[in-house]
Amino acid sequence: MSDPEKQGAGLEAADGIKSAVRDFLRKALENSAADAVLVPVRTPAEDSYAWILTNDPNLLEKASPAAPTMPVQGAKALKSLTRKGEGTARVIAVMRPCEIRAAMELFKLNQVHLDNITLISYDCVGAVPLQDYVGDPAGSEERFDSMLEARKTDAAAVKPVCRICVDFSLVDSDVHIGLMGLAGESALLVPNSEKGQALLDTMGIACEADVSGWMQAVSELKAEREGNRSEALSATGAGLQGLDGLSATFADCIGCHNCQSVCPICYCRQCYFDSEAARQDPAALLDTAIARGGMAFPGNKVMFHTGRMAHMSLSCVSCGQCTDACPVSIPVADIFSYMARLTQATFEYVAGRNDGEPLPLRQFKEDEVEKVHEIVKGAEEEEAAHE
Amino acid sequence: MSSINLDMSAPEGTVALLRHLLGSGKVSAVLALRKSPDTGAYDIGLIADEAGLDNAAPVDPVMLANTGQILSSLTPAKKPLAVVLKPCELRGFVERVKRDQGSLENVLTISYTCGGVFPLEKVIGESFADAIPGYFKRVASGEIVEGTREACRGCERFIPSSADMTIAMAGAPGSTAGCCIYLNTDRARELAEGLEGKQSDDEFDPAMTRELAAKRTAEKEKIFSSLTPAGGGLDALIEVFGKCVGCHGCGRVCPICYCLLCDFESRSFDYDLPYFEKELAGKGALRLPPDTIFFHLGRMTHMSFSCVGCGLCSDVCPVGIPVAHIFKKVGEHTASLFDYVAGRDVEEAIPVMVFKEEEFDELG
Repeated sequence: MSDPEKQGAGLEAADGIKSAVRDFLRKALENSAADAVLVPVRTPAEDSYAWILTNDPNLLEKASPAAPTMPVQGAKALKSLTRKGEGTARVIAVMRPCEIRAAMELFKLNQVHLDNITLISYDCVGAVPLQDYVGDPAGSEERFDSMLEARKTDAAAVKPVCRICVDFSLVDSDVHIGLMGLAGESALLVPNSEKGQALLDTMGIACEADVSGWMQAVSELKAEREGNRSEALSATGAGLQGLDGLSATFADCIGCHNCQSVCPICYCRQCYFDSEAARQDPAALLDTAIARGGMAFPGNKVMFHTGRMAHMSLSCVSCGQCTDACPVSIPVADIFSYMARLTQATFEYVAGRNDGEPLPLRQFKEDEVEKVHEIVKGAEEEEAAHE
Repeated sequence: MSSINLDMSAPEGTVALLRHLLGSGKVSAVLALRKSPDTGAYDIGLIADEAGLDNAAPVDPVMLANTGQILSSLTPAKKPLAVVLKPCELRGFVERVKRDQGSLENVLTISYTCGGVFPLEKVIGESFADAIPGYFKRVASGEIVEGTREACRGCERFIPSSADMTIAMAGAPGSTAGCCIYLNTDRARELAEGLEGKQSDDEFDPAMTRELAAKRTAEKEKIFSSLTPAGGGLDALIEVFGKCVGCHGCGRVCPICYCLLCDFESRSFDYDLPYFEKELAGKGALRLPPDTIFFHLGRMTHMSFSCVGCGLCSDVCPVGIPVAHIFKKVGEHTASLFDYVAGRDVEEAIPVMVFKEEEFDELG
């Protein structure tokens, strides 16, 4: 974001930004700059959106490069396409910044391949909660379109995590579409990697436009959101402290594991908590219940959520899919965002970047061993002092 | 003796029965719905202490998970257990037993004529406790209670089919002031011994709930007929399942879907890019992740004739697809081809596990 050399190309958006992006994608297909595109398309019943991979320029008419809601995290769509490795088709995928950040994490986890994928991100005004959308598709379309036109988030219309999102703009995509701070009929195409630059070059798009106004608007909103984010996450954290806090927070959980199955980061085919290893011996369960006087089912609520947290919070991108899929309205995304902020800060890691920085748990540093020694020593001394 | 009448409401009487069973040491523990007196939150308690029964709310209109699925994880039981299940949960458990996923050994099953439950989102709401007293009154009078789940409003199998004990509740006007416990098996009679109440030789008579059954059938037909969009076929499937997000929550909460790893989540359903490229060349467009409708059809093939209509799949669907009634409609149809009723009787073999010689002629 701080690159003073950054330049962009104006994108004519007189008929709205969706139409402008559709035209851009059609041109990319027609110029053979790409073999296919991956974009959200409204379902035939017009009650949701689905990711469609297409090479047919005419089908793009139905595409909605900025869909109002996020039924399936884009990184999951990309995973289903490339999990088994590269093909030859060059694909352009248009996704929200949080979807691209999740794709970067999956890339580091060897679950997506990106060699032939060109990622296009855009300034995101937020996503309408899935339940709100399916409950009122027409109204949601209207509310989202007016947000997009104003290039401004309506807090009441979007998911709670979107209200406090600080990564709503340029991420490590190949091309970014800048919207914030620009007049209604204009947008910016900003190349953000060699691959992105090559795409624009192939399409004969010259980058000579000034991007400073857009960058200024983005950084102002980002600063404002940072404050809101800290405040909101602290409030979430206050209710989470200790085992009592966690138990109360997850009290309504029915153990359906929808949060995990829609999470772009949780890529395990079989979660440990659904596996044979997590099953307990029936006789032992009954004996435990008898010893304690009773036992609650569905069980392992805090265990499951803290276990999942330990596994994926370093890569959590706060996309909010978990909250959308929870049948008992637990604010899973707020909770995981709070925890992710802490764990990611511990390792000075920011999930979703493609800067060569490996996943913290995939590397060992010598000084970390020293730190562990210090922690253990400190604990031992404390224990000795107690005795 | 075939029944015992207690001088209290059916919900109170059910707790009294559990108190008798646990207090006398006839069972080591009781599995039943509980309600926290502090927060009002429900859970399914494996209760081993008599004091723990103070929080028992065994027949409250709530289904957090299929109790049959939880009971599975507690069996085979080395010590005697009593469990209170809704009729559909009991049938779910029976289907699991047939698949070696549970055992009836040492288990006393207590069920009741069920008035249906409320959707999860209502159960977790602030004012849910207020709905309960009115609910029991309306259920006793044989009403379909407004606000209960669609799966329950159209449920005709609200009479337990194989319980050791049946408590009269839905369609039993006397159940607001009297609790009639029918003892259907020797095990039930043995364990009920010593329970104070008016003994009788009356057996459960399904005729008493005939009116409610008729209302439910009418409601079911109404719901079934609303399920098929005009035209049918693949277009209709796309219309209904188009908004599926592929979370597979329906499969995970299903008491019949017992596979630890669904085939649709396994490597069998991973495709490589050259495959997609070939598909794309032929079709011009592909939905990703793939196999949205295939998943539902596959699951239907695997479990629909054992579908007990418990409705949990609809309850956890994040986009409100009427999964439960779609599966129930298909399930009833496939099961009827084999004169099979899911969970009716543990001795009744699952149709696809049985081969009859004349079936080969039919195929030929």
